[in-house]
Amino acid sequence: MHMGIIENNFDDNVLTSRVDWLLNWARLSSIWPMTFGLACCAIEMMAVGAAHHDIDRFGAGAFRASPRQSDLMIVAGTVNFKMAERIERLYDQMPSPKYVIAMGACATGGGPYHKYGYTVMKGVDRIIPVDVYIAGCPPRPEALLEGLMKLQEKIRSTPVIRKPAHSA
Amino acid sequence: MDFQALYAHLQAQGAAGLGGCDEPRAKDPEDKQDKGRAGDPFVLVAVEQLPAFLQLCRDDEALGFEVLIDLSAVDPAAEDEDLWLVIQLLSLRHRHRLMIKSMVPKATPCAPTVAPVYRAAQWHERECAEMFGITFEGHSDPRHILLPEDWVGYPLRKDYVFPKEYRGVSCE
Repeated sequence: MHMGIIENNFDDNVLTSRVDWLLNWARLSSIWPMTFGLACCAIEMMAVGAAHHDIDRFGAGAFRASPRQSDLMIVAGTVNFKMAERIERLYDQMPSPKYVIAMGACATGGGPYHKYGYTVMKGVDRIIPVDVYIAGCPPRPEALLEGLMKLQEKIRSTPVIRKPAHSA
Repeated sequence: MDFQALYAHLQAQGAAGLGGCDEPRAKDPEDKQDKGRAGDPFVLVAVEQLPAFLQLCRDDEALGFEVLIDLSAVDPAAEDEDLWLVIQLLSLRHRHRLMIKSMVPKATPCAPTVAPVYRAAQWHERECAEMFGITFEGHSDPRHILLPEDWVGYPLRKDYVFPKEYRGVSCE
């Protein structure tokens, strides 16, 4: 295609924003979560994956057995210190861009173990960055789906090509 | 066999370390202070005689305890001088159970391992060791089983002090 044809036919940054949109659309429409559950929240996560709630409707149904093929880590359950070490390693093994959902009260802030859980980490955000927190103990499957939609919103508004405002 | 028959049989066999028994009872209506005792009956066994005692429980035909259901401990109060080591046995063929208690002094929290008698005790003893600080002498694999290997303190002791941080992560 001759570049002269599209030159000056568009506003200055239309093309740039379209690439952003396209990349983000591709990313948010095919989020591959890691097969990874720690406690009762994982049961709800399995329900989300099954026919009734069907996370595949949002393009996030391909649960991968390896962190190297995953975009999303759903921390579904209680994180204790012994597990935290593994979670950190699994997160480091995921390729960027990667996202984390802290599902339920335990992963968000220790939950029912906050006071007397001597070996429970009071929130997984103490070791890895979390994008979306979901309340509940455990959250309903619909809540996880909403959490996923929030994450998709976040991905949709992420500047990929444009420089983020603060680094300009 | 019911508990009384079990206890009588243990006495008749001259069970090693047998030191009495205790049964639940209703509270005395005359005595306002008396609260009675709830729970299950148990036999008291001297802790150093535990392996020999359990050997008898396992091998005696009339007792016939094939299964070690549980091995755990209790710290009744911070000021108490003893921990209780509690063992639950079950006989499938005779359909009876037995609870065994042994006093383990906190000053020297040692007990002989019973894993050679009941293999199931192996993991239970590891958990008991990390949670209560009881050393099981002769244990074949004395690593931690649930807690990280570098954990400090015994979490199920009544006087346990909660950690402020672990490997740089705050526990508050």
